[in-house]
Parts: sequence; structure tokens; C-alpha cells
Amino acid sequence: MPTVPENGSAGRSSETARARAAIYRLLARVFSGKPSCELLKGLKDSDMLEALAAFEVVLEPEFIAGDEKQQAAELAVEFTRLFLGPGPHIAPYESVFIRGEGEEKPRLWGKATLEVADFYAEAGLAQAEGETPDHLGLEFEAVAALAREEAEQWESGAVDEAARLRELQRRFCSEHLLRWVPEFSRAVAGSTRSGFYRNMAVLAENNVRMHCGGDT
Amino acid sequence: MRSISRRDFLKLGAASTAVLAVESQFNVIAYAAEQLIEGGRSVTRASGLPRSFLPSTCMQCPAGCGIIGYVEESRVVKIGGNTKHLSNQGALCGRGQAGINAIYDPERLLSPMKRVGPRGSDSWEQISWDQAMEEVGGSLASLKSRNPRQLLFLTDDIGDDHLGQRFTHAFGSPNIIASIGDFNANKLVADELTWGASGDMPDVANSKYILIFGANPLESNPQYLGLSRRLVQGIRDNQAKVVVFDTRLTNTSALSNELHFVNPGSLGLLILTLANVIMQEGLYKRTFIEKWTNVTPEQLAQHLAQYTPERAEAEAGVEASVIRTVATEFATTAPATTFTDQVLSNHSSGVQNERAAMLLSIITGNIDNRGGLCLPREQELAQPEPVPAPPPPSALSNPPAYPLASEQTIAGTFAQIQSREEQVGVLISHNCNPAYSNPDLGLVEDVLKDETLIPYHVAITPFLTETAALADIILPETTYLEDSDIIVKPSPELVPYVSLRQPVVPPLKEARPFFTIATELAAIIKGGMEQYFSFKRVDEYLSARIANIGGLQAAGALDYLKQHGVWYDPKSQPDYQAFKQNGFSTPSGRMEVNSERIAALGSPALPTYEPVTFMSQLGEQDYVLTIFDTAIQSDWKTGNCMWLDEILHRNPVWMNPATAEELGVEDGDEVKLTRPNNVGEAKARSVTSTVYLTEGIHPKVIAMANGVGHTAYGRIAQAEEIPYREPPDVLQNPNTEMIWWGHEEPGGNGVNPKQIVPVTLDPVGGGEAWGDMVVTVAKV
Repeated sequence: MPTVPENGSAGRSSETARARAAIYRLLARVFSGKPSCELLKGLKDSDMLEALAAFEVVLEPEFIAGDEKQQAAELAVEFTRLFLGPGPHIAPYESVFIRGEGEEKPRLWGKATLEVADFYAEAGLAQAEGETPDHLGLEFEAVAALAREEAEQWESGAVDEAARLRELQRRFCSEHLLRWVPEFSRAVAGSTRSGFYRNMAVLAENNVRMHCGGDT
Repeated sequence: MRSISRRDFLKLGAASTAVLAVESQFNVIAYAAEQLIEGGRSVTRASGLPRSFLPSTCMQCPAGCGIIGYVEESRVVKIGGNTKHLSNQGALCGRGQAGINAIYDPERLLSPMKRVGPRGSDSWEQISWDQAMEEVGGSLASLKSRNPRQLLFLTDDIGDDHLGQRFTHAFGSPNIIASIGDFNANKLVADELTWGASGDMPDVANSKYILIFGANPLESNPQYLGLSRRLVQGIRDNQAKVVVFDTRLTNTSALSNELHFVNPGSLGLLILTLANVIMQEGLYKRTFIEKWTNVTPEQLAQHLAQYTPERAEAEAGVEASVIRTVATEFATTAPATTFTDQVLSNHSSGVQNERAAMLLSIITGNIDNRGGLCLPREQELAQPEPVPAPPPPSALSNPPAYPLASEQTIAGTFAQIQSREEQVGVLISHNCNPAYSNPDLGLVEDVLKDETLIPYHVAITPFLTETAALADIILPETTYLEDSDIIVKPSPELVPYVSLRQPVVPPLKEARPFFTIATELAAIIKGGMEQYFSFKRVDEYLSARIANIGGLQAAGALDYLKQHGVWYDPKSQPDYQAFKQNGFSTPSGRMEVNSERIAALGSPALPTYEPVTFMSQLGEQDYVLTIFDTAIQSDWKTGNCMWLDEILHRNPVWMNPATAEELGVEDGDEVKLTRPNNVGEAKARSVTSTVYLTEGIHPKVIAMANGVGHTAYGRIAQAEEIPYREPPDVLQNPNTEMIWWGHEEPGGNGVNPKQIVPVTLDPVGGGEAWGDMVVTVAKV
């Protein structure tokens, strides 16, 4: 199967960047909070199901047939249990998965958090107050924001700036996302009681692998 | 995985765009031209890292010490004492330093939660702040229009929750109540009756003779470091003699010149005997008694004559000669002071006991003088205008059965709710944990679980405490290191001061300060309530609180506090014996040794020893259980602090070797403490722990530490060790794998002895009689 060409026209590049932005943004949405009925409906759309299949994500038939309102209610509890607690849960923060230099063990708001914060500052990303910089949803959103900006740069003809932004995203992906999203995905698979979050974690992992592999 | 076609990639992009088009916006990060501005930071020598620091006020215990929060790379890395603070003067205890554990507790609640399933089933759904405020605000608005007096707001200390009080009063309810009552409730009532002020302040740094009755200021006291520091000053700089009467060898008695064990419950008798000796020997100050009290020396001498040293030797277990010597020394050494605390006041005769202790200072003229027993001095704060008028009292805020008790002292609230003395519509629990702290925890749990008694429970808390676990909705509040308030406490130096709490770091994630929560709720509830919360920013509120303090205004007002953390008039000296100009704040203007108010309740008007009922019923197998506070845990509050739990996590039963021999047990044996059948109701009949043999306890007393044995409040408080795994697939607190005491048997995190304590109130004061707890002890 052919890979996505690295040096397409500006139009192609812009299209790629917009697609990347949308996928990352979807992932950001999924891992930032409980799902809405609309989100679940959208994920069951036939075009979406086809596209997901290409990413090796196959949603269960029972899930597709199920009532979104009830699923949203159930997944709200599952999301809370999985990612927020109270009690043992998977803290979706890079610094919890990655031990920083000089750190004996990973911790919340660790070295990795600061590296991510530094990256945002360097990349010109401004973050709203409240969330810790290395939250999975925020890291995904950061790539999406840069990809959107990249697309606009291609479209306005600022190809050097666009290429720089594309490179920034790839760097962030390989320096940060790739080093913990696969572990995160495994952790979700090992703890979740729902196929939904297992599938979404696989999607996240595959998307990150492809992005870093230079495919997208 | 295999690689993917451009077509499929774009398809997922398009499908994702379609999904997101119908989703609400959730931008939290955006590409912006501005860069972060660096610079202006200091660097520490030790780590080489940029470090900033801010003064603030500790809230790990009631003392309110001045702290400095050190911040490196947006993380609090150290908490130290503020040397400028008048109370702790640079010192800081372990609890204060362990505040870092609280703010970074991995199980902190950082988004609003709504329960799923029945109360207490521990299944929660994360909800947005918008939804949470809509639901809570909606319920409160509806209650306000129906019956605002059905709001019950529970908090630990009303003095520290001025905003909660403003909220409750503005809502139209009188029911802001200290969830458990003050631990010194009966003492506060006795002080108020006698000299018209709640509490006292022994001027120990300037005393020559300090007589301590069951107080333990080196480990636990409402002023903690402020007073323990001054006690050591008195001993070291002033060569004060310290004599302690207690049932247990505490850190304070270890530093004393003499420790005398008294029989449990008989301190009141001992004190009145000391007073009797002083009167009989003619060592009293006649002029002071005649001028400043409402009794004559003759009246007193006649009343006290019943308390002979020989009787005290027989009943209290202290030799008559010791009593005569101590009484003589106390009366002939000036200045001298008494020092009392919970062990004296937490009895069904607590108010009488405390009045007796004050009598010793009164007859020797040691009242509000340098080195004597002083009136509390606390900076008065302004009430921001408009001030909500306190609604007329209810049966909960001022129980008819206890007319001398107040919202701050009454301990019987949950029993009142259960007997439906007042219907509650909405309960807000804020900064309190009655499901851990109160007597008869079964009653508290039953009430909190019963939706007919508590139809709606809103917990405003950073942590899932035993109480929050029984809530309907949880609003995640910031910890004290992330919010602001003006704090005042009785000054150990007798010069009033103002302390500022300010955010050392910004709130983590979605946590919100109580100020924000209260203000937003008021705006939703409306009905006139919003006018009391029209502050645009918290600074506006803080500034209004200190508007009445001229000296602070001149020094720079809030800006001064932000820079220094504390303010007091540097030229001010203690205004000893101001009563000589103004009199006392009692109905008669004198110290009311002869109290008509207490007589009206059927209790003797003159300070009188009332034997605690258990004393006459104490069987061979019966022992008095003392639950004592330590310098390590603050009741419920610090249970999730890893560093503190490592020091104090289990509470063996202190037992005298003579007692152990009687019972046939040895050090380390497991014993069961059982509440006798005939004494009240409580969650459990018995608790089990191991024996700690020590000569440092009265043979008829056994003791257990407070502050451990949590059944909620996260894994750290419950000593649940989580083995570390690499890579971590569950949130790893770097500390939780070090919970070595999780393995200890039995009960690595101890037991909560309060679960076997029934609600027993002083009939006069309304405070819990913790010290009246009798148990039988048996080897398991």
C-alpha cells in the first residue's frame, strides 16, 4: 500500500494537515471528557466506521446497534472510573508514564510536564488555565492546533512556515506522544470494562505511530 | 501496524470533522503569537532551579501558623515557617510541612462528581462545572423560595468559614454549625459564663508557675506552635515551674517538673481541693475577689470547705501532702497561671471543671496580668457591606435543651436531625468530616444515608472523605495552598494580628476556591442573595474584611499582607488588665464565679465537683478510654498526608503494666475494647488493637491516638500499598509503594476508636463528653 507522499503540492499538504488536525481533535475530544450522544452517533456513521477499519479499529456490532443515550450514561461512569477516580485509575498524563531525568519515579507534574510546557511555549501555543500541560487530551489538541495553523500557512503560500509547523508536530509526536501513548493504550486495554475506550486507545496509538512514521 | 492509504487517512479526517461539527467547542489550547515571558525569577543555590516563594497561612490544624510556600517550576516543593508571623515565629510542625502531600494527593478530586446509584455506593460520574452549578444552584434556589431555614451548612470551625456563614445567613438560614462542636466546647461555655469571652490565653512565657490540668500544648492545642513555643520560653528563659496533673505521660508532662496521675474524671475534685487549701491557708487575694468577682472570700471558703485534701487523696488518688504543697506554691509564686484543655473539659461535668480551674487563677489574682491567665485577644475584622442579618435561631443553631451552647459548640446536631427536631432540605458539608470525627459514627452514617432526613447533600471538598463519600454531588474545592482568605486567631503573644492565606500556586485542574463557588452559587440562587456576593474579585472581598484596621491600611493594606503574610502593630504591647477600666463583658461586669445562668439550668451556681456517673459504676474489668490528639495528625484532616501517616498510622492501646497483669496480657497482644451494654448507642460495640505497655499511664485508664483508622479518604489514608510497576498502568503516587505499614497486622492504618463512643453531652455546655467513655478490655 502506498504511503502518503512527503512532498506533495501545497494543496495536498494543506489537505493532509486539515485531516490530521481533525483526527487529533477527535482524539482530544474522546480523552478530554465523557462522550456525548452526538459524539457516539458520529462515531457510528458509516463513513466513520469504514475509515476506522483502515486504522484497525472495529467497533462491536452491539455497540453500533445500541442506544446512544444509554451508552453515553454508561460511558460517563466508565470515563470517570478509568481516568478520574476516585480510587485507582489511569492518570492520562505523560509524566505519570515517563520518568524524567533525575527522577526516581514518574509523578504527576513531573519533568515531562515541564518539557511539554516548554514545548508549548516554544511552539507558540497558549494554554487555558486549569489543565496540566501533559494531559493526553491537551497533547492531542496541541498537535491539532499546530496542524490547523500549518494548513492555513500552506493556503496562504507561506510554505517555509508551514513546513516548520509540520516539523514541530512530528517532533512533538516522536519526542512525547510516541513515548507514552502505546503504554497508555495498553493500560486502558488492561483496565477498561468497555470496548469503546479500548478501541479509542488503539486508534490513538495507531494514529500516533503513523504520524511519527512519517505516513501522515 | 501496516501503513495506511492517503485516501483512508483523509476519510478519517473528514469523518472526524463531521463528528466535531456537532460537538460543542472545547478549545483549551490555541496557537498564539505571544510567547511566554521569562525572567524576573530568583534561583536557589541548592538546586540551581528558579524558585519563587510566597507567604501564606497554614490550615492543616486550627492554629493558623504563618507559612512560606516555595515553588519551583510551578510546583510547591517546600513549606516552611514564616519568621515574621507573630504566632509561630518561623517554626513549622510536620503537619504544616506535609501540606505538599495534601495538594498533590493523587486521589484529589479535580472535577465535579455526581453519584450514580445509591448514596455511598462509590460510583461517580464526572460532570461539568456548568452542570454541577446548575444542579446545586437549582436545588438551593428552589429551597430558598420554599423554606430557606432548611439549609444546613456544616463546617469544622465557623471562625475559619466566614464566607460559609455569610452564604448561609444571606440564604436565609441560621444553620451554620460546627459539624462536631468545638473540641473545647465546654471550656468555651465556662469561659463565656465566667468572664464574658470564649476561651483564654495563659501567658506562659511570662509565668513563674504553670499548673497544667490535662492539657498537652507541646502536642496538641488550638494555638499549637504559638503556645508550645511560649511554654518552652517560660520554662527556659523564665525558669517557670511546671506541674502537671493528668492520666497519661504526654510530651508536655515529660518536660514538666512534676507529673501527678489523677484518677480518671476526678480532676475537678483535685482543682477545687487546691482552691480550698488556698482559701483555708489565707493565701488568696481578698481585694481582687471582692472587687472583681460576684462572691465574697467567706462565701467561697465556706463552699470549698467540703473539698478536703484527705477526700481528694481518697477519690482523686493524689496524696494530700502533694495537694497542700502545690496549692501553697501556686498561691505564693507570682505570676502564675493555670492551663487547661480537653482532658478537663470533655466530661459531662466539663463546664463545672473549667469553672473550677478558673477559680484558682481568680482567687490568686492571676487574671489577665503579665504571666497570668489572660483573656483571648483576637483582631476584629470588618463585615463587608451589606451585612446579611443572622436569621432568628433554630433548634439546630441554638438547641433549646442547651441554651448556653452555640453553633460553634453543640455536638448533638446529628441526633437532633435523626429525631426530626428540624427538617433539613439541603446539606452543604464544607471543610469537615463528621462521618470520621463525630461520636456515634453509626448515627452520622444513618443520617447522611437517609434521603428523608437529608434530601440533598452537596460536599464542597478537595478530597473524597468519609463524609463526601455519602454526598449526592461533590464540588472539588481548592486546597488551602491554592486559595485566599483573611485569618485571625487568638494571639499567643496577646497582640492581635491579621494573617493572609493566598494561593502559593494556581488551582490544579478544575478545582475552584470556595469564594468562587459561593459567589457563583449566589448569582444562580438570586432572591436577593446575590447582593451579598457582588464582589468582582476575591481581593475586593479580602480588602473589605480588613478595612477597619487603621494601622494595616496605613501600612499598605492587602498589598502589605500579600508581601509579608501577616500584620500586627509593631509598637503594640499586650494591654494587660484592661478590665480595670472597662469591667468584664458579663451581665454584672464582674467575673461571675456565682453564676445565675448555670443555676437556672439546675447546675450548682458556685464551681462544684460533680462526679462523672461512670466513676461510681467502674467495675473491675472496666477502664476509662482516653482518645488523645498528637502533634502528627489533625483529627481527620491530615489522614491523606503520606509523610505524617508514615510517622503515625496505627494506634495501639496504651496500658499500664499493672493493668496488663490484671488482664493477663503482654506487650503486643491483641485486645478488644468493648462498650458496656448500658451506655448509649454507637456504630460498633468494640474495636480491636494491640497493647503498648507503658508506665506512662494511669492503671485505670487506657489510651488510643486519634487521627488514624480511615475507612475512606483515599488509599494513603487507608494504608493501601500499591506495588510499583514499570511502566505504570495505573496512576502511581511515588509514595504509595512505600506504605510499608500496609502489611502490619492488625490494621496497618489503625482503628478509629470514635466508632464506639456514644453521643454524651455535658448537660450544661452541650459539648461531647469524650472523656466519659468506659470500656471493658479483654484479650483476643
